[in-house]
Amino acid sequence: MDQQPPSLLHIHVKLLGFSLHSITPWPNNPSIFYLNGKRISRIEILGVVTSRDYRPNKFLRFTLDDGTHSITCILWLNHLTSPFFASRQPATLRVISDLAKCFADDIQFGKVARVRGRVSSYRGDLQVTVSDVVIERDPDAETLHRLDCISLGRRCYFG
Amino acid sequence: MASNAIKSGALVTLPELQPSSEFFKEGASLRVTGKLQEYSVETAIAVIADQGATLKVDTQHLRELSFRIGSIFQFIGELNIQPNNEAILQACTGRNVDGIDLDLYYQSLQQLRQFQAKHMKNATT
Repeated sequence: MDQQPPSLLHIHVKLLGFSLHSITPWPNNPSIFYLNGKRISRIEILGVVTSRDYRPNKFLRFTLDDGTHSITCILWLNHLTSPFFASRQPATLRVISDLAKCFADDIQFGKVARVRGRVSSYRGDLQVTVSDVVIERDPDAETLHRLDCISLGRRCYFG
Repeated sequence: MASNAIKSGALVTLPELQPSSEFFKEGASLRVTGKLQEYSVETAIAVIADQGATLKVDTQHLRELSFRIGSIFQFIGELNIQPNNEAILQACTGRNVDGIDLDLYYQSLQQLRQFQAKHMKNATT
């Protein structure tokens, strides 16, 4: 019996920045995108923070440079004021808001950051809406991520 | 996808930054790695070395970075080519990468270029 390849829709697909050129939107759902015919919604990227636009209690927009492309990331900081989050429990919102502020403090110019989040589109450009940030201090972190992305690209995403 | 206003620093090794190289262009955005050979506090010019090649790096815009001779550093910046054809990288970010596995790093660059070349080829066919 033929087995279906595992879905990439609910995992964080590890990608190099230049692979974002291969991502196309799915007309039926703005949260879902196509990568080489496979549906994805979340990605993991890793690079050097090369720009930082901080608006307190609104958002932090920053770019990650992984040597192949500069990827725009948006970290929302408006959880306590935006009607988008109004349906959530206040206690949960407070935890999410505090965590986002910690992430914003960690994202500093020149740091190497591993970012996970949803693929989104803004004015025709793809960006990552950030859900998780880890600052990488291991000098080999970028090398290992690069090799992971290449291996996964060859065996899973583009194979 | 529209081009990003912030240019990505292309990963290059110092031996590749020869005048005949495709990367040797005024304004090219590059990321370089090398061992700190010299540093002048007066001029903020660092000289890094890798595999027998050297490169001057202007570090005047960098903050909170301690320069230690013998440590390995990585810089992202734009290449400026002087009238005498000498290149200097105007660094906008820099970090100490002591402990980096340079052999693995070079291998990853080779793999990356093969992967990108095949990927670009597939994208156009």
